[in-house]
Amino acid sequence: MALFRSRPSFSRNILPIVAVIGLAVAAFLIWRGLPDRQLEEPDETPARATGALANAPRVAGAGVVEPSSEVIDLGTALSGLVTAVLVRPGDYVSRGQPLFQVDDRDVRARLLEAEASIREASAAIAEARAAEAVAVRQLSLYRDIADPAAVSRSEVIRAEGDASVSRGRRQLAEAQLAAARASRNRARVELNRLVVTAPISGEILRIDVRPGEFVQAGQQGNSSTPYIQMGETRPLHVRIDIDEDEATRVALGSPAIVSPRGAADRQVRARFIRAEPQVVPKRSLTNSAAERVDVRVLQLIYELPRADGLFRVGQQVDAFIAARPAAVRREGSAQ
Amino acid sequence: MTWIAIRMLTGDRQKFYGLVFGIAFSTLLITQQLTIFVNLLNRGATAVHNIATVDVWVMDPVSRTQDVIYPMPSTALDQVRSVPGVAWAVPHLRANAAVRTPDGDLEGVTVVGVDDSTLIGLPPTMIAGTRDQLLLPNSVFVDGVGRTRLFAEDAEPIGARLELNDQRAVVRGIVDVDPSFTSQVVLYTRYSNALNYVPGTRNRLSFVLARAAPGVTPEELVRRIEAQTGLKARTRTDFAQDGVNFIIENTGIPINFGITVALGFIVGIAIVGLTFSLFIRDNIKQFGALKAIGVHNGKIRMMVAAQAGLVGLIGYGLGVLMATLFISIGGATSVDFKGFYTPWQIPLLTLLGVTLIILATGWLALRRVLKTEPAAVFR
Repeated sequence: MALFRSRPSFSRNILPIVAVIGLAVAAFLIWRGLPDRQLEEPDETPARATGALANAPRVAGAGVVEPSSEVIDLGTALSGLVTAVLVRPGDYVSRGQPLFQVDDRDVRARLLEAEASIREASAAIAEARAAEAVAVRQLSLYRDIADPAAVSRSEVIRAEGDASVSRGRRQLAEAQLAAARASRNRARVELNRLVVTAPISGEILRIDVRPGEFVQAGQQGNSSTPYIQMGETRPLHVRIDIDEDEATRVALGSPAIVSPRGAADRQVRARFIRAEPQVVPKRSLTNSAAERVDVRVLQLIYELPRADGLFRVGQQVDAFIAARPAAVRREGSAQ
Repeated sequence: MTWIAIRMLTGDRQKFYGLVFGIAFSTLLITQQLTIFVNLLNRGATAVHNIATVDVWVMDPVSRTQDVIYPMPSTALDQVRSVPGVAWAVPHLRANAAVRTPDGDLEGVTVVGVDDSTLIGLPPTMIAGTRDQLLLPNSVFVDGVGRTRLFAEDAEPIGARLELNDQRAVVRGIVDVDPSFTSQVVLYTRYSNALNYVPGTRNRLSFVLARAAPGVTPEELVRRIEAQTGLKARTRTDFAQDGVNFIIENTGIPINFGITVALGFIVGIAIVGLTFSLFIRDNIKQFGALKAIGVHNGKIRMMVAAQAGLVGLIGYGLGVLMATLFISIGGATSVDFKGFYTPWQIPLLTLLGVTLIILATGWLALRRVLKTEPAAVFR
């Protein structure tokens, strides 16, 4: 080979070879350094419309699971100390079942008092009746005497007065008995009102009252929380917010595909119940403390099928609902 | 005959090395400057390139780039999900905030909020920690810039506490991403956390990241989203280009690097041209002798071409090697060069430039040789 006829020269032989090797190394470095800008598949994907909705007109919304009765915030009719809480969160209670007991010692004392008054009034009645009987018999004795000279006129008048006074005392004692009975009844009613009972059959969702705490009747103020929250959770409903821009596109009445946050692959089909008549300002579902969004939403209520603990009250869900065909929408927006 | 030309060329060592140095230096200058230029421009698109799982970015119509954002109301996510052809869509938040470091310093950061449940929007590779640690409460990931900027060299960043907008944030991982153009510290956290970390404005949602369903091209999806929602949608590549264009339009970088590249070219022409003509002039007698023994001009052209080719090959090879080594080593060792790479087009461009230099100087030198009388030997 011509290149190596003599001793290899640095400039003539080695340098070109070094240059060629350098080019190869550079090409390798460039090839290896090229960034990977390929699209990749994520490990987990968020909620996606599946089935018939995958490539059809649809409306997406976010929603919150709620009991079908909506959440009932229970208060107390009478203020007082709580002596016993009779249910636990998650209990399924039937209508009328006692939930918690407010201190009733005072009312029980009044009940005893009323019963004592009843006995007192009864005794007074008995006494008045005896006096009345004596007075009546005295009067009739005088009346039965035929000879007017046998009894003085004033004697008769006194006997008549005794009779009417003793009748009046009996009537008073009877009225006192009625009053004592009424106050006993009132004490019994209050005793009932001190036991807070379930207004409907449903699940206890939250308990924020413990024995020894003071519960306040009436207005609870804005800051305080309800003592017990309950609601009918068989079945659960879901309240889906639809952006007002999209609201006109929803095919009302069609079922929704619903999946909970974090388990987008576990989708269920929910049955349409109703649309709320009022479009309301969007309530924050993004957990931000002070979010003020001037978007209004149409709220749709759907019934969830039974799904073994997949959905819980208050949980956020993603939902897809069929939209009306695009042609209808174009016509509508053109008007 | 070519061999004679080569011997002629390497006979004068000073001129030969001068020529090689000239070519190598211009190659290095042009390649390296163009590479840094392209990579700096690409810094404007790192937010897009760092997320490999989405192909469409949806934003408010007035948003321009990854950092020039007008946030949208949160229902925009549902609007995008409603578009047929969207396989899925996630919320994405980018906002600036100030963070208090463990040392008590204040540092401006970009807070990135990724989807709460799927963590889509988080870069794929981690330097420390695992992805699912972001699901822990008040958890944030920092990027490489944050590692150096927020913490001392010997401090352990994992588990460190930061303070953002009066909220506690715990660093639970370091992600491997290319820094942005401004090299600002990036904190990754979940969307719901990010809302707390960023001082409140009315609307918060910066982007909706969407993926096209199978069978729908990103371009088609962009068209559908824009038609149905009235929002602005860009494909991944287009949005990356937007970021690059924003830098080109708003900074002096293109002019700066353009001047340097032009200087490299001029320096190359000057050194190589001068040395080559000097070399040819010195060897004019030899060319005369060759002509005298009957060598045609064509053969002489071949000889000069061989000389120029050898100089070009050696100079270009060494120059490209140095430039790529510089970028590779720099990218591997320095945070400032992290993610830098040599696009394959640039060495080809440089090759074109070097070829131009050699052709121009060779042609100038040849003119003299071709005009040479055989009698020049005797002068």
